Amino acid sequence: MTSKRRFRALIAAGGALAAAITLAACGGGGIEGGGGNEAVQTVKYQPPPHGNLTISNWPLYIDKNTVSDFDKATGIHTNYIEDVNDNQEFFAKMQPLLSKGQSGGRSMIVVTDWMAQKMHELGYVQNLDKSGIPNVEANLRDNLQHPAFDPHRDYAIPWQSGMTGLIVNTKLAPNVHSINDLFDPQYKGKVEMLTELRDTVPLVMKADGIDPETATQQDWLNTIDKLKAAVASGQIRRFTGNDYTRDMANGDVSAIIGWSGDAVQLQADNPDIEFRMPTEGCILWSDNMEIPVGAPNPSAAEAFMNYVYDPKNQAQIASYNSYVTPVDGVKQVFQTTNPDLVNDPLIFPTDQFTSKCSTQPNLTGQEEQTVTRAFEGVLNS
Amino acid sequence: MREQRLVDLRRRLIPYFLLGPGILWLILFFVVPMYFMARLSLDTGIFPEFRFNWQFSNYSDALSAYDTQFFRAFQYSAAATVIGLLIAYPLAYAIAFRGGRWKNAMLLAVIAPFFTTYLIRTLAWETILSDNGFVVHTLQTLGLVSENGRVLATSGAVIAGLTYNFLPFMILPIYASLERLDTSLVEAAKDLYASSRQAFLRVTLPLSMPGVVAGTLLTFIPATGDYVNAQFLGGAQQAMIGNVIQSLYLKQTDYPSAAALSFTLMAVMLLIVFIYIRIAGSEALMGEEIGGADVIE
Repeated sequence: MTSKRRFRALIAAGGALAAAITLAACGGGGIEGGGGNEAVQTVKYQPPPHGNLTISNWPLYIDKNTVSDFDKATGIHTNYIEDVNDNQEFFAKMQPLLSKGQSGGRSMIVVTDWMAQKMHELGYVQNLDKSGIPNVEANLRDNLQHPAFDPHRDYAIPWQSGMTGLIVNTKLAPNVHSINDLFDPQYKGKVEMLTELRDTVPLVMKADGIDPETATQQDWLNTIDKLKAAVASGQIRRFTGNDYTRDMANGDVSAIIGWSGDAVQLQADNPDIEFRMPTEGCILWSDNMEIPVGAPNPSAAEAFMNYVYDPKNQAQIASYNSYVTPVDGVKQVFQTTNPDLVNDPLIFPTDQFTSKCSTQPNLTGQEEQTVTRAFEGVLNS
Repeated sequence: MREQRLVDLRRRLIPYFLLGPGILWLILFFVVPMYFMARLSLDTGIFPEFRFNWQFSNYSDALSAYDTQFFRAFQYSAAATVIGLLIAYPLAYAIAFRGGRWKNAMLLAVIAPFFTTYLIRTLAWETILSDNGFVVHTLQTLGLVSENGRVLATSGAVIAGLTYNFLPFMILPIYASLERLDTSLVEAAKDLYASSRQAFLRVTLPLSMPGVVAGTLLTFIPATGDYVNAQFLGGAQQAMIGNVIQSLYLKQTDYPSAAALSFTLMAVMLLIVFIYIRIAGSEALMGEEIGGADVIE
């Protein structure tokens, strides 16, 4: 090799290296810890609310009119973005900002109970000024008023609640009624479960007679081992988020663990698909509105919370997404606007319907790390 | 005399001046992030409290925990590269030598899928390969897939997806090197009583090697780090190393392991590419003047 050629070869190798590194490094960056500020700040509500408001929520969670109606009623300009797809991923994205006391321009975010709590413990969300949200005080459903993680609803206000249970194609899997039926070999490769640790594992635990709310770390790991075996045998096809709706709609799977509201939207396309309360009960959860630290214009965020807790406005949202509404008085509104929804057990579940259900258990610290790692290992077998 | 010196100086500095923006870009978006990633990969602790601790065991721990997915990634991308080459070479050859006035239209057809995003195309394959779709039904009729079998959520689907998504990166470089090939050399070979096969093997193929090497690298490198195909077309047992790194970063917030795994992937890929270039010949990659005798050393 002449030296010129060697030089060229070097450049070639360098170019390939650069390409390789760019790929491998994608998503890298200087993310170093730095625990949150434990002293929780409190919002100061300053009437009248005005100005701009940016909200981060989950996809397909609001009808087309609520935001513009709210803007018209209040004069606030709302930027509503659907950038929450997964609690953990959203947290990973926000954490570098939140740890510096910034919210990336967001005035309000919506996350599930356990994540709401985790963010509060890290000092990433603010306590609310109750004077700005009288409708919440007046209309929040009784059974949601004192959750263990936020007994006085100081920082987390439910957006919608829901049930995690079975979504079944009644033609393909008429006899699936229990979570245990998902392990029946006749449905091999036609079963899917959720990538959400706190939905899938507690449900499988319940089917094995373990109470998820008192489960030990060993119980979690044993259940995850059971899932691992089901993956290895080909019983479980894959784990998904909301994208199970495609597999369900295509008929690729017969029965899955999924979320109640999705079943209603799937049913609209295929009447054979329905939500089934598992014989061992479901997992109950709420997604909560929170005001993060550094949120611009928190008064406008409170105005929005207050607005959606007016039963009339809430009815518009609930009739769109079919999740369990956390607001009292929606039923009365439906009696005139949507009489067919008044007895919908997915929007207004009776106490009897959810009698065996559990709330999502809390996991923290080393235990959370260990269990999450084991579960993610099964998802990416 | 003095002016002459100034002119000389300017002449010497201009190349650095031109390099400036590129170097700045490289430092800002490559060297700096690399430094932080390297540091992060040696941290200990659990989120959100990581401490720098020269924790080299992050590397061995991550590798021993995820060796399956690591090897799987290389297997899948190697398979996709070989299949891609087998499809791309004849296609590029046909376009270059038999394309005639359709040449541009055919090239456009190769590039056309790029007008739709990668993600949407992969999701489309999810529907095409659905258990109840015509592809699976056809394969079942032909006996290539068993009656209860499926295509989606198998390693075959992931490799097919990788092959499909990176195929244009294979076709275009091969086409480019075949296109500028001097056909009189092939004629000369035939004049010297070479059969068509011999002419291809001893003239055309060696001259197109730069394209083949470039194409295989452009396919192999991104395919190894890919996670989209495994996520949408694979099942729970088809996770590649990219899926694991994504999970470690975004789901488990275990940044040190994720960074360590990224660096390991980078190093292994680098090694493979280096060996490949040594074997395939760096001249081929760099594309010496075509027609020069030194190509076929």
